[in-house]
Amino acid sequence: MTVIHQPETAEANVETMDWMAAQIKMPYTLTPGQATGIFLAELAGRRLIGSRHGDELIVPAQDFSGTTGEPATGFVEVAPVGTVQAFTTGATGTIGIILIDGSTVPFVHQLLGVEPEMLELGARVEAVWADEPTGGMLDLAGFAPLGSAATFEPKDDPADLAAAFEKVDYTMTLDYRHAYGPYYGTLFDGVKDGRRIRGVKCSACRRTLLPPRALCDICLAPTAEWVDVEAVGTVQASSVVHIEFIGQRLTPPYVYAEIVLDGTSTRLIHMVGDVDPDVAQTAAAPGARVRAVWSDRHTGSLADIDHFELLPGDET
Amino acid sequence: MMNTTTRRVAVVNSAQTVLSPAWPDRQHIDLISEAVAGALKGTGLRIEDVDFVIDSGSDFLDGRSISNCGFLGAMGAHHKEESRVEEDGLWSLSYAHDKIAGGSAKVGLVIAYSKPSESDVRNFWTGLLEPFLQRPVGLDQFSAAGLYAQRYLATAGLKADDLHAVSNRAWERAVANPYVDVAEVPGDAAFWNDPVSTPLRASDLARPADGAVAVLLASADVADQVSATPVWLTGLGSAIDQHFLAAREPDALPACAAATRSALRMAGLDDVRSFDLAEVSATSTVGELMVLEALGFAEAHRGLDAYVGATTINESGGALPADVIMATGLVRLHEAASRLAGRTGYETPGATSALVHGTGGFAMQNHCVVTMEVAS
Ligand SMILES: [Zn+2]
Repeated sequence: MTVIHQPETAEANVETMDWMAAQIKMPYTLTPGQATGIFLAELAGRRLIGSRHGDELIVPAQDFSGTTGEPATGFVEVAPVGTVQAFTTGATGTIGIILIDGSTVPFVHQLLGVEPEMLELGARVEAVWADEPTGGMLDLAGFAPLGSAATFEPKDDPADLAAAFEKVDYTMTLDYRHAYGPYYGTLFDGVKDGRRIRGVKCSACRRTLLPPRALCDICLAPTAEWVDVEAVGTVQASSVVHIEFIGQRLTPPYVYAEIVLDGTSTRLIHMVGDVDPDVAQTAAAPGARVRAVWSDRHTGSLADIDHFELLPGDET
Repeated sequence: MMNTTTRRVAVVNSAQTVLSPAWPDRQHIDLISEAVAGALKGTGLRIEDVDFVIDSGSDFLDGRSISNCGFLGAMGAHHKEESRVEEDGLWSLSYAHDKIAGGSAKVGLVIAYSKPSESDVRNFWTGLLEPFLQRPVGLDQFSAAGLYAQRYLATAGLKADDLHAVSNRAWERAVANPYVDVAEVPGDAAFWNDPVSTPLRASDLARPADGAVAVLLASADVADQVSATPVWLTGLGSAIDQHFLAAREPDALPACAAATRSALRMAGLDDVRSFDLAEVSATSTVGELMVLEALGFAEAHRGLDAYVGATTINESGGALPADVIMATGLVRLHEAASRLAGRTGYETPGATSALVHGTGGFAMQNHCVVTMEVAS
């Protein structure tokens, strides 16, 4: 599910109409599967679990070997001690590739409490555990220079393996700054200041396109002339929305419509307001005439139109 | 040589926008429109002649799902067969080649674009990582490149300063390339010396760029009619390494080598050093060296030797000064094809064959190789 909204920073561009801020925030429940689920669950008990695949011993435990495709034939407990095979230091700290004693495939984690200038390839390190487990990879906070931790041979079939995590909650938040470009910029400038809607006419087929663009969608010929479009049009399709969903801006029921503004060849999706949703299916049916009702907002987008209102059937 | 009952496919024209670290005053569709119009221009082919469109881009970078749906008009895909490849444009080109070679179409338009300036590029790269074990620990595109570089330099017996030769060469050529938005080789000391992810500096890491590229492919009967110098696709191959970074080879790209073997087998060749030109992609200087070694232009850990070999490498400047994420490989193909065809501004006397490489995935997990030739 996708939640798209304009954060506060959207205001920052109103002066220039160059760009629009947007954010996508996506909630997930991720499924780690058997081996990774057990590995993660065991971190709270401060045990590292690997998996055997023929001659390979992989830490963190995997269901299949990435190299041979061999399924895991068993789980092993490995020592919280290993060797640094590579490291790099950047803005987020020092990251290393660590080979746990007895394993054959290394993994990436943070190196903590190290002086990068003093660190050498082959350095011995031990696990650093989080004070309070939170149920993820960072319950193993990283690795630090070897202190008191003892190494040992991998122990097959460790007793009392924790049940695998079935799911891990995760949220991805992505921020964008979308350029309007010359065509949308001109349209939105006009909308914001003069409540003026402008499209472009194709040099070949003479269709008027809204929003404006460089090339005609249908014949790919360049568009040329700017054309003023009245905020009056005809419903081509409509739908009364009753369902609720994440990210919804309005409380259902409400009416969405595809509207062809007079003189244009393109459809605009907007709200039809001031109509009882119970009668909208007939009142806002295809062919109904509508007119824009402007809001008090001057953000320079088609959301400055609050909604479209129905016109009497004989009005043009 | 493999059986050749399939039809021959050629690049008949191609075009790109200027690649810029940011195009703040143009939308995706503005960039795509320019590249598409340029690819058709002068060919005598009209949009009605195009049977299908295949495009590369990233919903993640574009900030909308199934983003190609909003770009169909600019792509010339109105009421046409269109499909999206969430990989570098060189993969789109491979599929378009196969479609024409298989006989189900004659003319295909291949498009790739991106505007990484509109989002956080680190989010894009870390978003490619599996989320349980690698993403939470702070691994990103810079640290991954740093981990490769430390091991590569140690084995090759090189110092980080030796990599300046790779990036300086790339930026000098980018300055000479009118399609890369850069006035001069960066001169500030921090760019060349301050570590971003040790041992790499900003000069070692590809600069993300906005832009679009479009390539027009046609079957032999059409290509011979509309182009004086069709650039024939002779070999294509791709391969993917395993996902977990630490489990991969420490200082080599076996998937790139595998993709090369596939392409050369199809082309009926066994030595890449016979190519006049090569255009390769990479996200870091060490990545470019490892690519050149995997392709066969140099021995392992001797990638620097490739620049003085018989094949002209990355005359365009390559990917380091302008990495149009999702389009960089197809830009490489456009650069190479333009040189082989001797188009205005790209005249390269004597060049009749080229190898093109693209990469994708986290820390160059995926590789695609295409070979091309013109009649000599
Ligand atoms: Zn038209």
